[in-house]
Amino acid sequence: MSQSVSPGIPEASSPGILHGWWPNPIFRRYVRSRLRPQALVVWLLLTLVVASFLFFMPRTLALYQGRMPIADAERMPIFFIMGLQAVILFIFGTGNVAAGVTAEADEGTLDYQRLSPLTPLRKVMGYLLGLPIREWLMFAVTLPFTAWALWRGEIVASTWMPVYAVLISSAVLYHLTGLVAGTVVKNRRWAFLVSIIVIILLYTVIPQAAKFGLVYFKYLTLWPVLDEHMLEFLPRTIRGPAHLASLLTDKPDARFFGLNLPEAVFTIFSQAVLSLTFIMILWRRWRKAEAHMLGKVWALGLFAWMQLLLLGNALPLIGSGDLFPARQIARRYGAQMMAEPQIGEALAMIGLYGLVTMVLLIVLILIITPAVDDQVRGLRRARKLGWKRVPWISDAASSLGFTAAMALLGGIGWTVFAQQIIGSDWFRGHQLAAWTGPVFVMVLLGAGLCCQTVLEARGGRTLFLVCIFLGVVPVLTGGVLGMVSKASLTPAAWLMGISPVSAPFYAAATMVPTTGFDDTFSLTIPTAFRFWQGITVLSAVWLVVLLRQQHRARRESVLGPVDLFTKCASGTSAPVPPSGLKDRG
Amino acid sequence: MRIRCAPGGSFLTVMTPATPAAVPAIQINDLRVDYGGFVAVDDVSLSVPPGEIFGLVGPNGAGKTSTFRVLATLMEPTYGEVKLAGIDIFEQPENARRVIGYMPDLAPVPSDLKVWEFLDLFAESHGLGTGPERMARIGECLTQVSLLEKSGVFCKTLSRGQTQRLVLAKTLLHRPRVLILDEPASGMDPLSRRQLRLALRNLAADGATIIVSSHILSELAEMCTSLCVMNRGKLLASGTVDEVRKALGRAERTLTLGVLERAEEAAAMLGRRDHVTGISLAGERLVFQFAGTHREQAQLVTALVQEGFLIHTLEEQKSTFEEILVEVAESGNTIPSLPPLPKP
Repeated sequence: MSQSVSPGIPEASSPGILHGWWPNPIFRRYVRSRLRPQALVVWLLLTLVVASFLFFMPRTLALYQGRMPIADAERMPIFFIMGLQAVILFIFGTGNVAAGVTAEADEGTLDYQRLSPLTPLRKVMGYLLGLPIREWLMFAVTLPFTAWALWRGEIVASTWMPVYAVLISSAVLYHLTGLVAGTVVKNRRWAFLVSIIVIILLYTVIPQAAKFGLVYFKYLTLWPVLDEHMLEFLPRTIRGPAHLASLLTDKPDARFFGLNLPEAVFTIFSQAVLSLTFIMILWRRWRKAEAHMLGKVWALGLFAWMQLLLLGNALPLIGSGDLFPARQIARRYGAQMMAEPQIGEALAMIGLYGLVTMVLLIVLILIITPAVDDQVRGLRRARKLGWKRVPWISDAASSLGFTAAMALLGGIGWTVFAQQIIGSDWFRGHQLAAWTGPVFVMVLLGAGLCCQTVLEARGGRTLFLVCIFLGVVPVLTGGVLGMVSKASLTPAAWLMGISPVSAPFYAAATMVPTTGFDDTFSLTIPTAFRFWQGITVLSAVWLVVLLRQQHRARRESVLGPVDLFTKCASGTSAPVPPSGLKDRG
Repeated sequence: MRIRCAPGGSFLTVMTPATPAAVPAIQINDLRVDYGGFVAVDDVSLSVPPGEIFGLVGPNGAGKTSTFRVLATLMEPTYGEVKLAGIDIFEQPENARRVIGYMPDLAPVPSDLKVWEFLDLFAESHGLGTGPERMARIGECLTQVSLLEKSGVFCKTLSRGQTQRLVLAKTLLHRPRVLILDEPASGMDPLSRRQLRLALRNLAADGATIIVSSHILSELAEMCTSLCVMNRGKLLASGTVDEVRKALGRAERTLTLGVLERAEEAAAMLGRRDHVTGISLAGERLVFQFAGTHREQAQLVTALVQEGFLIHTLEEQKSTFEEILVEVAESGNTIPSLPPLPKP
């Protein structure tokens, strides 16, 4: 680095290639701080050593112990190296993104970035690509090993390109997840932990739901594409067993309603939509630090889109039976046992769809519901501007209407899913009750409104306690009670029925009359479901009435006992807003 | 300079006759900031013309930092309008940020960057030309705050005062037209403070408007061309130090008079004069409060001499600005004496 007359200041600030290729100040800031030679050399050497080991060990074993042909032996290290790349990008990269942005918030230097005239999008991109720059270089160090294995292993580009495209898009998605976690969580250590937990949940645990009909979730991971191309990566000499070959070759394309898409294309598309949502969250936060993560309309749109994706991926697989776990198991083990989908698994899948929809609904309610302070601020602003009420899409407005709209959409999606499954050829002897739609909507509406009203009126802490004591404790206690004896199954079913978590499964069991199950299942669960849903609906109505009373009281406490807005509307005493006052709600 | 203040509406304007037609550098209308039930800034209106060094004074919790954070586009108020150099900061935040230089209280610096790297990050964000041009500007700013020799060291190795100076250099980088400095002198040694004062005066002379808060009030009084006192979210008074003192009803000072003979008679005579209160007698020394002008004070002394009193000393003692602020903070926040001012 050349020195100018000023000690320590270089004559120009573009000492490296990475500094120059993208003129984003935040990116360049991290290129400087995270690529300092001392630390970088250590990390790159470490990566080189591990990658070398993972490359040479399986290759040598295959070549000298397995006596494989050279082209086959060269293929052996590919998955090991890919695993290392995944660890570097997914775990180290994401953790550093989350911790890095929280560190800035912790130090207080994030405010400087808020003050800079860069657009929110440039800031987001700067952090997204700058914070994990060292991990991307470490990834680059492993690429020669991959390139060698692909070249000498004679793996064609159409095999490895989709896999690496999805690997990179997954990494970007995970980094965005880390960035969101780091931006939302205030504590540096928690940000790291939360980002890792969110990633494990989003991209490891939740995708397991794909095995039970929620196929969309698997497209958030690398697995579908890897599954699709697994066989071409494996050495030809170990593709032996016929059922393994059929398992690996007989893969359907990604189905979205009537469309057949390559797995890679649909995966990248699915991840892009989620990435866009994360970018929207970050954009809102950079634009206004106090803003909700998502606006109300965006949340409603996202919810509808998720329903569309869940249905679009699942419905085309019903006819062939590929949606059902029994068929998947049969395929995996090459056996014919349990090849026919069972009504029990259909009920479980319908219940799970309802539960996932309910969880998504509650997550979005948590995002869009204003805190009491926000509501008061919104009222004050409205009063100042002489408005009749807070604009309905502003962050400060009640989320009651949007909760109801999302519950309605979720109920419709859930009903369509259940109708398509039960109405399929696999379950000819079964029929969905006529009032399934309204009941499903009621289940989601009851849980959603209770959650929303408690959150809006009493805050997150009260909601947390309610969730623990009404959502979790009854399920756990009922589970333990059910283990005692057969006689205790009935009280256990009643107890578990208190929890909204069990409601979707109880609803599925109630709406699809079945035979062949014992009395607990066929009699107790529907009765318990009707009773507890009745209680839930009454509670929801009562809470909504209370919330509206609280809204009125709050409006009067903020605006005074006289309703200025009514007067304003009638023209008797219109408060004139000072010129130039703007709303930014 | 004229000062106007409406006690109820918390409206203040500082008007400099030299620039009557200029667009105010800082224009705040009906600004309110709430934190839950706590009103941090209560319907404040304020107008500061270009070239002023405007001090914002008040005890902790007065609402200074909240006001500064709103001005710096870091916080959204409950409502209100803010224009900096004619730019609405809520409508055009990116444009507003080009004219703002903000230095927060206890200004932090990143631990993983060197001094020049820290400055280059913001020089580039503000689009200050090519690499060499930016480096030249960084050199200028570091020279201005006497940190040039530290440009190659990591920010985390700087002392508190050096960190403050570095952040000041960062604030000055893009030649902002409105400087918002929250406690800029905290942690600085006396020499650095003097440099800061000089730097701010030079900037103001070049047309920049500076709004600054400090707990070192005497220093603020020296530095600022005008002051404004804030307490419990409301603006109380504005003007020069003396004008503010007067506006706050603290224009009176303590006079001590040394009289050789007939001290009791002199006390009786003082008791009959206007503007005189709280007379106490200790031997030959008469101590009393006087709220009149200096001319009236001279007339008082002349009258005493004409009555034949032998005066050998006259000492004047003004209450310090700190004392006034302590009183303001403890006593409440209304100023009954000033006439209401119509809002623009």
